[in-house]
Amino acid sequence: MVEAAARRPPASSPSGPLAIRVRRFGEITKEVLRNPTTTIGLVIIASLLLMALMAPIITEANTPDAYQMPRDWGAINEPPGTPGHLLGTTSTGGDVLYGVVWGARTSLRLSVIVVGITMVVGTIMGSIAGFIGGKVDEIIMRLVDVLLAIPELIFALAIAAVLGPSFGNIIFALTVVFWVKYARIIRGQIIHVKHNEYVDSARVIGDSKLNIYRKDVLPNSVTPVVVQATLDMGNIVLVAATLSFIGLAEAGLAEWGVLVSEGQAGISAGRWWASTIPGAMVFLWALAFNLFGDGLRDVLDPRTEGR
Amino acid sequence: MTNLRDDPVGAATRAEERPVITLRGVKKYFPVREGVLQQIVGHVRAVDGVSFEIRQGQTLGLVGESGCGKTTLGRCIAGLTDTTGGGIYFRLSEADRMFLDEMDAVGQDRQTSEQQAKVESIERAHRIDRLKGETWRTYRRNCQFVFQDAFSSLNPRHLVKDIVGRPLRVYKEASGTDLTERVVELLESVGLGRQHLYRYPHQFSGGQRQRISIARALALDPEFIVLDEPTSALDVSVQSQILNLLHKLQQDRGLTYLFITHDLGVVRLMSDEIVVMYVGEVMERAGAQELFASPRHPYTEALLAANPDLLEGDEEAEMRGLEGTVPDPARPPRGCKFHTRCPVATPRCGWEVDDAVAWLSDNSTILEGLGGVERSSDFESVLRFAEPGTAAEAESLLASAAIPDAMRAALVELDQDGPELRIRFEEVDRVRLEDVDVGHMTSCILHTSQADLDSRP
Amino acid sequence: MTAPAAAPLSDKTASRVASVEELRIHFDTKAGRLHAVDGVSFDIFDGESLGLVGETGCGKSVTARSFLRLIPVPPGTYAGGRIHFWSKEARQTGGSPVDLLQVPASQMRDIRGNRIAMIFQDPGKALNPALSIREQVAEVFYQHRSEDLLDGWNGTPPRPIRRAAGQRSGKLEWLAFKVPPLRSPARRLRKRVDDLVGDALAETQIPNPRKIMTSYPHELSGGMKQRVMIAQALACNPDLLIADEPTTALDVTIQARIMELIRELQLRHQTSVLYISHDLSLVRRICDRIAVMYAGRIAEIGQTRHVFHDPLHPYTRGLLAAIPSLAHQRGELAVIDGTVPELIDPQPACRFHTRCSYATDLCGRLDPPLVARPGLRPVACHGYASPDELGVAADQLPRLDRDAP
Repeated sequence: MVEAAARRPPASSPSGPLAIRVRRFGEITKEVLRNPTTTIGLVIIASLLLMALMAPIITEANTPDAYQMPRDWGAINEPPGTPGHLLGTTSTGGDVLYGVVWGARTSLRLSVIVVGITMVVGTIMGSIAGFIGGKVDEIIMRLVDVLLAIPELIFALAIAAVLGPSFGNIIFALTVVFWVKYARIIRGQIIHVKHNEYVDSARVIGDSKLNIYRKDVLPNSVTPVVVQATLDMGNIVLVAATLSFIGLAEAGLAEWGVLVSEGQAGISAGRWWASTIPGAMVFLWALAFNLFGDGLRDVLDPRTEGR
Repeated sequence: MTNLRDDPVGAATRAEERPVITLRGVKKYFPVREGVLQQIVGHVRAVDGVSFEIRQGQTLGLVGESGCGKTTLGRCIAGLTDTTGGGIYFRLSEADRMFLDEMDAVGQDRQTSEQQAKVESIERAHRIDRLKGETWRTYRRNCQFVFQDAFSSLNPRHLVKDIVGRPLRVYKEASGTDLTERVVELLESVGLGRQHLYRYPHQFSGGQRQRISIARALALDPEFIVLDEPTSALDVSVQSQILNLLHKLQQDRGLTYLFITHDLGVVRLMSDEIVVMYVGEVMERAGAQELFASPRHPYTEALLAANPDLLEGDEEAEMRGLEGTVPDPARPPRGCKFHTRCPVATPRCGWEVDDAVAWLSDNSTILEGLGGVERSSDFESVLRFAEPGTAAEAESLLASAAIPDAMRAALVELDQDGPELRIRFEEVDRVRLEDVDVGHMTSCILHTSQADLDSRP
Repeated sequence: MTAPAAAPLSDKTASRVASVEELRIHFDTKAGRLHAVDGVSFDIFDGESLGLVGETGCGKSVTARSFLRLIPVPPGTYAGGRIHFWSKEARQTGGSPVDLLQVPASQMRDIRGNRIAMIFQDPGKALNPALSIREQVAEVFYQHRSEDLLDGWNGTPPRPIRRAAGQRSGKLEWLAFKVPPLRSPARRLRKRVDDLVGDALAETQIPNPRKIMTSYPHELSGGMKQRVMIAQALACNPDLLIADEPTTALDVTIQARIMELIRELQLRHQTSVLYISHDLSLVRRICDRIAVMYAGRIAEIGQTRHVFHDPLHPYTRGLLAAIPSLAHQRGELAVIDGTVPELIDPQPACRFHTRCSYATDLCGRLDPPLVARPGLRPVACHGYASPDELGVAADQLPRLDRDAP
C-alpha cells in the first residue's frame, strides 16, 4: 500500500524541526556561495561591515560628534601616505581615512534605517492592499502610482528644500520614496499566493484570516522583498551620496557623498585622492550589494527553488 | 424556486440514512465585467439551480466535463465560495426539507407568520451561509476538502507535522507531544509514518502528497469530505492506492463523500449515487449501477460511449465522441442545455435563434453579409442583411434539408422581407429534473412527460 | 551493464518506417546522471499505429521527442543508440535509412513537419497566439511545399514568385508584389495557399474552415485547436505522425472525436502513427501494437489485443488491474506497491524488481533484456527465460503463474 520511499530521502535522518530548518538554511547558504560573483559581493559586504563596526578602533573618534570630520588645520591637501594621514587629507584638513571608515558607518546606519522602515511600511501597505483588496486596494495603489510617478531625486530635493538641508531629512525623504516599491512587490506576490490551494485548505480547516496571512500568505510572498531589500541597501547609499553631493547634507559630515563634493574642486589641481577614494567606496558598496542581491534572487527564485 | 420533488428520491431505499448535505436550487453566477468602469455586462452561470442530497456514509459522485460547474459546486458546499441563490443545508431532516419545499411552492407572500418563523428557524439552524458561532464551527469541522493538486494544496514552507497538525492547533485539540502523537496516528492511518513528520511537501511523490492532504482532512474527524478530483493528477497505479485508501477510511470512520471527477470509471467504482452535470445543471441522477446499466439521458450515453471500457459486453466496441463544443455558460442554451450537441434532439428541446445563427456561421459564409440583428426574444429575431439576395439565400438554407431536422421542425416562422429575415422558433420552457424510476431522475424530455412530443405533426 | 542485443523485434523488417535501436538519453541533474531512456528498441511499421504507454517519468515523451531531436542539450545527452528512419522514397526504392540522431541540422529541418510531424498535448501552447490560423498552417506549406504552391503555373513562374512560395521574399520583393506586374501572380499564389490551408483544415472536419482561417488561437475551443494542430501536422502528408498525449487536455467526449479523427486520417493517408499516452484504455481502442514502458525501458511489446488479454510482464499485469473497470469491487483495486525507482545512475537490475511480487535475487542483479522467445512476444522479464539461457538454477528464476499464451 505504502509508497515505500520518499522521492528524495534526506541524507541524514533529521532529529527534529529545528535541525531541519537549520539544515535548510545551510542548503540555501551553500547554494548562494556556489556562485563566485555572489561570493565576491558577500566578501566585500563583510569587509565593509567589519570596517564600519570597527571604526572607533581603526581611527580615534572625533569629539564631541564622531560623525563629524575631524579637522587637522596643520595638514591640508596632504597626499596619501603622509604619516598620520594614511589616505591623505582634504582641502579643509579632513582625514580621508577617517571619512572612509566613518562614512561606512554612516552608510550602514542610513541604509539599515531606510531599508528597515521602508520594508516594514511597504510590506504592511502592500499586504493590506493585496490581502483585503477591493476599495482599500484601489486607494493604496493609486497613492503608490502617484509616488512612483515622481522621480525619487526630485522628490527628495523637494522635501529637503522644504525641511532644510540635513542628513536626517535625507533619511526622511528616502523613506517616503522607497516604501512604494515594496508595497507594489508584496501586493503582486500576495495576489498571486492567495489563490494557491493551500490558502483554501487553511480556510477549510477554519483558521483565522490573520493566521492565514501570517502562516500561509506572507512567508510565501516575502522572498522578492528580501531580494529587493538587499539591492536597496546598495541603491540607497548611492542616492544618499548623490543628495549629499549636491549639498543636501550638513557640511563636514563624515559621509562619502559629502567628501566627494568637498574634494572635487581639487581634482583639476591633481589632488585626486580627496574625492576619488570616497567615490570608490560608494561604488564598492553599491556594487557589493547588487552582486549579492542578484545571486540571492537566483537562489530564492520560486521557479528554481526546491528543484 | 419550484418544487422539484414530490416524491423524495430514494426515500424507499435509503430512508434510514439521514442526509448530511442537502442542496436546494443552488446557483452560483460569476459577474462578467467589461469596459473602463468595469460594469457588469452579464453572468457566467457556473452552477444554475442544482438540488440533491448526500446521505450519511454514502458517496455521491459528481461527474461532468470541464466547465460544467462541478468544482464550483464543491467549493460552494465547502463554504469556500458563496452562493448566488438557493441554499446548501447541513443535517437538514427529511421533514424540514419537505416543509421548505412546500413553503417555496406557496411563495413567501402567502405564508403565514408562523410558517415564516419556522422557515427562518430552519434556515438559521441548517443553511450553511447563515450559520453563526458554534454551529458554524461544527460545520467547518465536519466538512473537509481534498484538492486535486496536492502540490499547491500543501504550504511548501510547512513541515508535514505542521500541515497535518494544523487543524488540531486551530481548534486547540492538542499541543506538544500529544499533537505529535495524534499526527503520527493520522499519518499511519493514511499509510505514512513517523519518519515523515519532519519533511517538506516537495520531498514527497504525488501520491504521498495526496495522502498528506487526506490525513489533514481527517484530523478533525469530520463527517463529510469533498474530494475534488483527488486522483486526476496521479498515475493509474498510484490512483488505485489512493482509491483503496479512501474506501478503507470510509469503512472505518463512516465518512460521507462528495466525489467530484471527470473520470467515469473512477466514479462508477467509488459512488453509491451519481449526479451528471452539464453547463451548471444536473442532467441525470441515479444509483451508480443503475446509471451505467440504463442511462436515461443522451448526455450520459455520450459520456459512456466515449469510455467503451465501462460498457457491458463487446470490448472491441468503437469509442464514439460528440460533435460541437460545450456552450458558453454566460449565455447557456434555452430548453435543454444539451440540445446543441445532442444526437437525438427533438424539435421541443429548446431550439433558438442563436442555434440558427451558429449553424449559418459554421456552414456558410452568409453571415459576412449580415448588417444587424434585432432580437425580440431568444426565440425570435430579425436578421438584417446588406442585400435582399443574401437574405433569400439564408432563408432557403434554413428551410433546406441541410440543417438538422429537429431544428428545422422547431422553426415556426421564417419570413424574408427584402433584406430582412424574420426567424421565430417555438418557445420552450426550461427542462426540469423528473423522476423516471425509484431514485432515478433525468431532465431529458424523451424520458419524462414534460413535453408532449406526439402532439406535434 | 548487460545490454540486450538489438534483435529485430519482428520479421516484417522490410516495411519499417522507423527503427529505434538501443536509444539512451540521459540528463545531467544536481543529484547525478538521470537515465531517462536507457536502452529502448522498437520498430514502427508502415501504416501501423504503435502506442507507447507508461506512467509519468517512464521516458515515453523523451523517446518521442528524440525523433525530432527536440531534447534540450544540455542538460540532456544522446548517450547512445540510433533512430533509423526510412522516408517514402527510401522504402519504395529499398534505399538506406537515415539516422535521425546523426543527420545534419539542415536535413533535420526538412524532416521536421514534412516527413515526421508531431502533435503536442497542449494545443494552446503549441500554437502561436500572435498568428492567425491561416498563417500558422500556411507556414508548413511555405517551408516544405513550395513546389506544390507553384503547381499548375503556366510556364516558369517569375523568380520573385518562386521565392515567395518558399517565403524567402526580401523586403523589396514584398513591395514589388504591391505593384501591377507582380501583383496578380502574387494574388494567385496567395489564393493557392488559401486553398491548400482550407483543404487541410476541412480534412479535420472543422466546420467552415474559411472562417476559422482568419481567427486566432484564443478564439477557438481546445478541441478546435487540436484539430488545427492535426491539420498542420498532416498538411505535408508525413510518413510518421508522433502524437504526444494528443487528447489529455480535452474532455472525454471531445477526446473520443479527436481520436476517431486521427484514426480516420491515418487510414486515409497511410501514415504511421506513434502514440504517446498514459491512458491504457484509450490506446487500446486505436493502436495496432502497444509498447509498455517502465523507468526508461520497454517492459513488453506486442499486438494490442495480446497485451490486453495476456499481459506477460508483471508491470503490465499490475497496470491493467489497477484501472477501475466493471469487474472491480470498491476498495479492491489492484495496486502496485512502492514507487518508481530513481533513475539516477541505476544499478544493473530489473527496473521493476523493487515493486514486483515475483522478484527473486536474480532480478536484483541481472538486467532482463527485451527478447522474443519462441512462442512469445518480446518481454523483458527473467520469468520467461530458461535456466540454460542465463546459466542459473531453475529455482532462481521468478515463477510467474502464466496462462498459456
